Amino acid sequence: MMRIASLLLITVSGIAAYAEPTPAPVEWQPDTIDVLPADVRLSGLSNRQQLLITGRQGEDVVDLTRDVRYAVETPEIVRITETGVIEVKAEGRTIIRIEGRGLPASVTVEVSNLSEGDALDFERDIQPILGRRGCNAGACHGKQRGQNGFQLSLLGFDPDFDHDALVKEARGRRVFFAAPEASLLLTKPTGVDPHGGGVRLEMGGGEYELLRRWIVQGAPRRQPDTPTLVSVTVEPTSRVMPSGDGQQLLITAHYSDDSTRDVTHLATFQSNESAVAGVTESGLVTAENITGETAVMARYQGFFAVFTASVPLPGDLPAGYYNNLPRRNFVDEHVYNGLQRLALGVSDPAPDHKFLRRAYVDIIGRVPTVQETRAFLDDPSPEKRDQLIDHLLAQPEYAEHWANKWADLLRPNPYRVGIKTVLNYDNWIRDAFRKNKPYDQFVRELITAEGSTWKDGHVTLFRDRRSPDEITTIVSQLFLGIRLECAKCHHHPFEVWGQDDFYSFAAFFAKVGRKGTGLSTPISGSEEMIYAGSSGGVRHPLTGELMQPRPLFGGPSESETAPESQSGTDPRDDLADWLTSKDNPFFAQTMANRVWADLMGRGLVEPVDDLRATNPPTNAALLEALGNDFAESGFDIKHLIRSITTSSVYGLSSLPSDRNVVDTRNFSRHYRQRLRAEVLADSWCQIVGIPQDYPGMPPGSSAKELWTHRVKSQFLDTFGRPDPNQDPPCERTTDTTVVQALHLMNSRELHSKLLDDASWARQLAESNRTPEQIVEEVYLAVYSRRPDEEELQITLDLYNNEGADRRAATEDLLWALLNTPEFVFED
Amino acid sequence: MSRYRNCEGVSRRCCLKLGLGGLFGTGLVDTLRLAGQASGTSPEPQATSCILVWLDGGPTHYETFDPKPLAPTEIRGEFHPIETKVPGISFSEHLTRLAAIADKFSVIRSIRHNQGNHGAGNHYMMTGAPPRIPVGCGSFVSFHPSLGSTTAYFRSQQNGLPSYFSMPAMTRSGGPNFLGAKYAPFVVPDDPNKDDFRVRDVSLPGELEMSRFDHRRDLRAAIDRLPRINEPVAGDPVVALDGYYEQGYTLVSSPEAQAAFDIHQEDAKVRDAYGRNSFGQRALLARRLVEAGVPFITLSEGGWDHHVSLFGACRKRLPTFDQTIATLIEDLDERGRLDSTLVLVLGEFGRTPKINVRGGRDHWSNAMSVLVAGGGTPGGQIIGATDPQGYSAVDRVLSPENFASTVYSKLGIDPNAVLYTPLGRPTHLVSDPTPIAELMG
Repeated sequence: MMRIASLLLITVSGIAAYAEPTPAPVEWQPDTIDVLPADVRLSGLSNRQQLLITGRQGEDVVDLTRDVRYAVETPEIVRITETGVIEVKAEGRTIIRIEGRGLPASVTVEVSNLSEGDALDFERDIQPILGRRGCNAGACHGKQRGQNGFQLSLLGFDPDFDHDALVKEARGRRVFFAAPEASLLLTKPTGVDPHGGGVRLEMGGGEYELLRRWIVQGAPRRQPDTPTLVSVTVEPTSRVMPSGDGQQLLITAHYSDDSTRDVTHLATFQSNESAVAGVTESGLVTAENITGETAVMARYQGFFAVFTASVPLPGDLPAGYYNNLPRRNFVDEHVYNGLQRLALGVSDPAPDHKFLRRAYVDIIGRVPTVQETRAFLDDPSPEKRDQLIDHLLAQPEYAEHWANKWADLLRPNPYRVGIKTVLNYDNWIRDAFRKNKPYDQFVRELITAEGSTWKDGHVTLFRDRRSPDEITTIVSQLFLGIRLECAKCHHHPFEVWGQDDFYSFAAFFAKVGRKGTGLSTPISGSEEMIYAGSSGGVRHPLTGELMQPRPLFGGPSESETAPESQSGTDPRDDLADWLTSKDNPFFAQTMANRVWADLMGRGLVEPVDDLRATNPPTNAALLEALGNDFAESGFDIKHLIRSITTSSVYGLSSLPSDRNVVDTRNFSRHYRQRLRAEVLADSWCQIVGIPQDYPGMPPGSSAKELWTHRVKSQFLDTFGRPDPNQDPPCERTTDTTVVQALHLMNSRELHSKLLDDASWARQLAESNRTPEQIVEEVYLAVYSRRPDEEELQITLDLYNNEGADRRAATEDLLWALLNTPEFVFED
Repeated sequence: MSRYRNCEGVSRRCCLKLGLGGLFGTGLVDTLRLAGQASGTSPEPQATSCILVWLDGGPTHYETFDPKPLAPTEIRGEFHPIETKVPGISFSEHLTRLAAIADKFSVIRSIRHNQGNHGAGNHYMMTGAPPRIPVGCGSFVSFHPSLGSTTAYFRSQQNGLPSYFSMPAMTRSGGPNFLGAKYAPFVVPDDPNKDDFRVRDVSLPGELEMSRFDHRRDLRAAIDRLPRINEPVAGDPVVALDGYYEQGYTLVSSPEAQAAFDIHQEDAKVRDAYGRNSFGQRALLARRLVEAGVPFITLSEGGWDHHVSLFGACRKRLPTFDQTIATLIEDLDERGRLDSTLVLVLGEFGRTPKINVRGGRDHWSNAMSVLVAGGGTPGGQIIGATDPQGYSAVDRVLSPENFASTVYSKLGIDPNAVLYTPLGRPTHLVSDPTPIAELMG
């Protein structure tokens, strides 16, 4: 199917950001040619049209827009550029002939109403220029205090504000009616006057002329009966693009009077992954050398549209390749479908010992013991992988490990909210996982919490987050993957959320009452009651309007599922109904994505709590299926984990073939991860046989049982745990650092444990085991496998050399294994 | 506000300094260069390292660098001013050593802010950004990366050494915030005044001999069988760890690097000069780390929150403080390192003018004194002034933002840089990227 039969795999190093696409070879002949739009109607308002010329041959689709010749029958009416853009010259009707590639085609162009739109409208005609030229970007005049005293609303979401800023402020110097050309709006961006942002506008060009005319007309805010913009679309919406291919995008604005307008030249474009496919200012996408998929966003006036480029791996896989892959459940089917689109191969299944270690680390947060390893490796049952998953999900350590992950997200700093309070909260979180509380119930109890901070741990959420806006950001981000934080102060730049949405959502928390002693750092030791009160409201910060609780989506048309707030009830109950409803896909999918990321090393959406149209999942069908599966199971977290870990895909090797080494997000192989700080600490101590004493914890406690991240531990700090001082709390990083290498290598604390008289090294050395047996035990404990012949050869020398000391040899062997990546990483 | 301020916001004294700086061939260039920063160019570093001495609790400005002999007794306190080497500049009486070398550093007397709690004051001075929500005294908060973490982020090294040390603990807001754990300080909690002191993790633990370590290292190499995925596109994290192990081995086996950490190799006289106490020896260790190429070191020194019995405490505390800081500056100078090492001494804020009923002074963020030495800063100057009773900075009023911008500019980091949080939000490194011109000379 691939047009370009072979293309050497090029490793990533300095990809030119906007490479010119390679035209299709001249001998390539399409079976059909499509011209979009099929016929073109232009007017004064809509005076330009980007054409898209698409050639098809079998499954191959090629953008020929820049690859054909255009001829205008009546050149007095329109002209057309080599890149397929029609520009109006006069009223009338003509035909544009498209030649090349053997198949003639044509398009009719009709130009009328040239005077329409002569009277300029700020929102329709002027603001798009400010957006396109970057004037209202966050780094320029769109930032909070503006730039050099001139402030525009971020990305132009507030036209009234922007109009005032231009016309009413600065004593009329920005637009100067007496001498329009002397307006700062024209002299600054053209560089006539010094401009910190450099030259942004061509003197005398089309946009300059439009701005000048607008000032001459008296800088009107709006024209009567101007239709409003209702949506923006992109064409095409997706395409498989072999490396080097180009695709011109066409961006169309749709207005309330059903009129449309080509705004490709006014839109701004951004690729989520320019190493996969880059995009130019004029909307030309070029597939780069990296195999994968990326979203390319086009934004126009607060609306956006997304084009998905899939860049497949050059070359072919044998016929029937995907059909022959093992499918253990729905997860496999969806992953293979995604891989097929990109022509990626699948790695071999991981050997048993790797699967065993992976499952232990992922599900209960430690490596298996020698005994557990032997039992699994020697078990002949073909069902043993599934049995292992069930066994691990039933262990008490499961709850501690997963509660520890949720504690990262929820548990505040005890110095701020109180020690007893945080301890109670920690207990409540752990209890939920011990009982395998359904996730919807967990969230419902949390967001509708009532009671005492000294008895009901989960009310701590409301002790920590004291105002409706503080709760809003955490609830929307954690449970819906919607980052509303931006919309607190300005319209979300890549989303539909504005301040209205934010404060309507916040209104669900307006009536939360608090009684008792609030935060009184440094101890904050007192008790506080959280209850559903009857008064309180949230006001819009700009309009002062009292906001009614309103969910983020599900408008009037979905009034059955979108609750209305009633007096006398806790609005939070309505919110919980809406949030945890099976009709709300975001709820299940956000959790599914989080768990997927934990188990598979990477989310289907990254960052895991940022689900939005402009940040699409790498495999949307899979995320949807996982969400549905999770919801249908009654939001059973163990079920979700089981669905993922019993798939074939979970058990794949991390070792790539030449057909998937480039894949880092489609799960064609297992992605290695450094063990999480607690997992590493607990595993290390388990192997060496000396537990770590944590201050304020019972002896023998494991790291994953710690009630706060403020418990002192150099080890955990070195390997990274979230800083509860940080707001918002951060996901932890799995980066490796030189400090980590140094700590494992040289830490005095670890060293003294290894040499301790109670350590496993001494026990092994003083036992009557043979050197072979000792080496095997150590390999089983650290790597969850037996040593091979060669490894045995190397390590036995430690014991058999002249003057060898069994204990020192065992210590050195343990040190060496514990410092290798095979221990430090989940593979 | 100073009445000497001209319309450009620069005081006449400041112009004078710039003019003088120009004569020596640096001032004007720097001024122009700073003006050019808006276009996104990073300043040339003047300092390669920074030692930040944090006096936790908020040291009194009256009893240190800003005595007010003409104020009423209940304000001026028990100490008298003394003359310094620089005519017209006086310090409080216990800073005799620093007074004798007052030509080698500057004191800013006019930084003021609005955060009177330890948590908030620490955050503002340590990050250059005010805390976003009210912060109490016991709080440890972080809304913005600290000076040290940011320096580590922009100036990461390849020599295996951590880029940001903090001793003996991280200060409250001294963390990396959104930059991530990679840029957290490397904390050395142990006391270098003890005989068995070693810098943790950078050298072999305890009694382990090099030969046995070499043996372990060879063994590790022989048994390390996990296949690496070497194609960079695969992004194998194991490959990154390999690099760090190599750096770690180099560090452990390099006699020069090991010497840098080994404070016991220092001449006894030098150790005495810094003061045989944990603070003095930490300052000495900081100097050694600077020599080893560490770009940022914070010394966090507690016990400056003198709400009670301030004068007794200061009589005890100030002489050793004076000795250590003066020795650090002189020692760096003698070794030719002062020009490339920025030394900062500060706390959260100053202290209240009126002595309270318990003989102490309380928190006061309207005025504070900050010592700045080295890193190409001109010495022998006092920047700004408080009013005659020390209530408030009134002349050449400066902000924590100006302070942070100065530190970044000195270290070759553009204070106007825009960083992106994990939320994708663009964040200015410093909201007011104007460095203190008097220090940029």
